[in-house]
Amino acid sequence: MRMTNEEIIQIINNSLIKEFELDSKKMIPEAMLYDDLELDSLDRVDMVIVLENAFKFKIKEEKEIRDIRTLGDIHNFVINKIRDIERAS
Amino acid sequence: MRKDSPYTWQNNLIVVLMNLTVFPLLIIMTIIGIFMSPPAFILFKIFSRLETMRIIRIFVWIYGRGWLAIIKPFTRFQTEGLRKGDIQPPCIVVPNHLSFFDTYFMGALPITNLCFAIRSWPFKMAWYRPFMRLARYLDVEDMAWEESFESCKRELRNGATLIFFPEAHRSRDGKLGRFYSGAFKVSVATGVPIIPLCITGTGKLYPPGRWFFKPAKVCLKALPAVAPSEFSGPLGHLAMRKFVKALMAEQIEKMR
Repeated sequence: MRMTNEEIIQIINNSLIKEFELDSKKMIPEAMLYDDLELDSLDRVDMVIVLENAFKFKIKEEKEIRDIRTLGDIHNFVINKIRDIERAS
Repeated sequence: MRKDSPYTWQNNLIVVLMNLTVFPLLIIMTIIGIFMSPPAFILFKIFSRLETMRIIRIFVWIYGRGWLAIIKPFTRFQTEGLRKGDIQPPCIVVPNHLSFFDTYFMGALPITNLCFAIRSWPFKMAWYRPFMRLARYLDVEDMAWEESFESCKRELRNGATLIFFPEAHRSRDGKLGRFYSGAFKVSVATGVPIIPLCITGTGKLYPPGRWFFKPAKVCLKALPAVAPSEFSGPLGHLAMRKFVKALMAEQIEKMR
């Protein structure tokens, strides 16, 4: 069944809160990963694996991942990736 | 909530005496340390032939012991699991963080070859910076993850004990804050165990936001080593981090 954007965002937020002990009140799309959510460079590497596990896909888009700055960027990246996979299948 | 001593005139007098004693003695010890370290370094170098970094780490450890002596009359200080032989290097010590002076209490560890993996701001203190650089402490905030990871591996290979404060910041309410994963990633990748070190009381002694000391009971308890072999997979270090944090939270609650 096709997931809605809201459901995808919910899964992303819950996965990040669980794995990185983030404050749910700070999980707004504008939140900067480094400054607001206080994720470090290692968390960024781990985040890719967490998202891969949560959505059962592989993330190979290194440039796009490097350009991610905010939580909203993660939401958009994952939503676009899921829609691409849906279109391809 | 932090319980402070009641405001009786006797308690206030002790606080005044403590601050009139501890601050000047700490400054004197620091100044003596700065001026005595060059000749002491030359003597150490001649007689021990140790690397510069090892000698400076010994000096920093001695400075920590000096701190323990200065603070002793005003604190009830207890340690557990910190006798000689209790901690076997190489290992990674992860203390919780309550006070600026937590690092000074690392002088209670029975090991002199300690390498702090810390954030950038302590390197900005001009009077400590040369010693920190010479001791090759790791500024993990300014380094890329790959670089700090390689540095940690090199230190462990050379038999050092790494100290990471996994919360990165001092707790303002005594509770454990968010744990960062670096120490646990290094542990899982190298097979070196984690030693959880539970600290209580330093948040009453000198908490963030207060600029004077108050007498306190300070306890340091090292828990048994946690082996990384229990935590496999690409996110094994996250599982290890959660496990160690839960152990520490339970122990700190008992120690309060």
